[in-house]
Amino acid sequence: MGGYGDVQLLREDGKRLDGRALDEMRPVSIEVGVLPAAQGSAMVTHGLNVAVAAVYGPMEAHPRKIQRQDRAVIDVRYNMAPFSTSDRIRPGFNRRSQEISKVTAEALESVVLVELYPRSKIRVEIEILAAEAGTRCAGITAATAALADAGIPMRDLMIGVASGKIENIVVLDLDKAEDNYGQADLPAGILPNTGEIAFLQMDGDLSPDEFNLAMEYNFKAAREIHDIMVNALKQKQQRGEA
Amino acid sequence: MVELVPSLLRQELGRLAAVDERLDGRGRWEGRGVTLETNCLYNAEGSAKVTIGGTIVYAGVKFEIRAPWPDRPTQGSLMCGAELRPVAHVKYEPGPPSPESIELGRVVDRGIRESGCIDMDDLCIVPGEKVWGIMIDIHVLSDQGNIFDACGLAAIAALRTAIVPAQRFDVGEDYTLKVNGTPIMASFTRVGGRFIYDPSEQEELGGDERIHITLGDEGHVHSLQKGLKGVFTPAEFAEIFEVAQQRCAELRNLVAEQEGN
Repeated sequence: MGGYGDVQLLREDGKRLDGRALDEMRPVSIEVGVLPAAQGSAMVTHGLNVAVAAVYGPMEAHPRKIQRQDRAVIDVRYNMAPFSTSDRIRPGFNRRSQEISKVTAEALESVVLVELYPRSKIRVEIEILAAEAGTRCAGITAATAALADAGIPMRDLMIGVASGKIENIVVLDLDKAEDNYGQADLPAGILPNTGEIAFLQMDGDLSPDEFNLAMEYNFKAAREIHDIMVNALKQKQQRGEA
Repeated sequence: MVELVPSLLRQELGRLAAVDERLDGRGRWEGRGVTLETNCLYNAEGSAKVTIGGTIVYAGVKFEIRAPWPDRPTQGSLMCGAELRPVAHVKYEPGPPSPESIELGRVVDRGIRESGCIDMDDLCIVPGEKVWGIMIDIHVLSDQGNIFDACGLAAIAALRTAIVPAQRFDVGEDYTLKVNGTPIMASFTRVGGRFIYDPSEQEELGGDERIHITLGDEGHVHSLQKGLKGVFTPAEFAEIFEVAQQRCAELRNLVAEQEGN
């Protein structure tokens, strides 16, 4: 976190700079089946973030040393397009994207019914086209929607969402300014139906009470995004039947 | 995704070519539907999304300030790169840029650069000290054939909408980048023994050599590239060159229409 406490992030009326209430998330929209070349795909816009995910597989796992006899492995690549941020990013992997890819893969392996596909691999490609704080969460939501679109069985629909702290107050879904100048960020991958958490990171400073409130906000937002995703999946089914 | 065994696919493409037909029912010089959307990426200074059939490509323009080359103290620079990331097709592997993606980026780059649509002297801020560097990054999201034309169109459309972010770099007011022309690419692949325009994924899989032609506003050619194994005759080139003139003019109109809106 930037942790510069002297930047004002709350207005006189108690609302946030973009007019949101403390427990209000940015607008989210989800569309599935957006990439014709992929088995499953989704585009998620979360505020100004745009994440696209494609799923390929299950397919034979290569090289053989990555194979698991009792389950599928999930190969995740999270990548930010060079033009996705205000300063251009040099193409290619960096430490940040490697780490996010790793923990996202592990989260997805705990949600997908990997034991149904022994010795195989499922490829999940996450591309961030526009970044404005919260891309790993938008990426997780897009990956889940793409897996569902590909018809890959999962225990639940994992939703990526973050809460944080600005001016000593817990708020849901930090935007760019809040992320840069706030005091904490708590991104999570929530399973709204089972009530579990499959992805968790955090940086900054939170008291136990603040953590509990932030997580409560995350579950609330995850349920909202879950419904948006279910609608998107239903709409595609209806398009297919029409 | 079940793909036909390429040798069977080649046979079928040859059979269709003999009766002047194509797998998807198109005429020999008929392209698939093209859509173009500009200013669609929030953090890019210029952007475009192009779809050709099931092929989807985004291009984003970014600017940087750098020192000019010592022998060209008043000239800025333009760089165009393409990434064939594994998101776009099951056939693309992760790793360092493949020769295919480098070729793609360089062919698009040449078409734009050699058309002269960007006057490098316009990119000067302080002679000998500061010039603008323009970077066009092309991101292929879905490859269902003919990514070259999609990338070429996305790159020039994005460039033509670019706003120079002078304010953010503290060198004056933002202004629209001056672009003098709309170079457009047309691609042809030999399928079943004869050239066709706008190859689909299956036609690329079961086809032979490809030729890419980039034409400027006056119909002058600015970049050519022959790729993959195969040979062709001057008469064959003359034929596709003529088709390229028509197809490029149509796509140039599409860019103009989009800008008019």
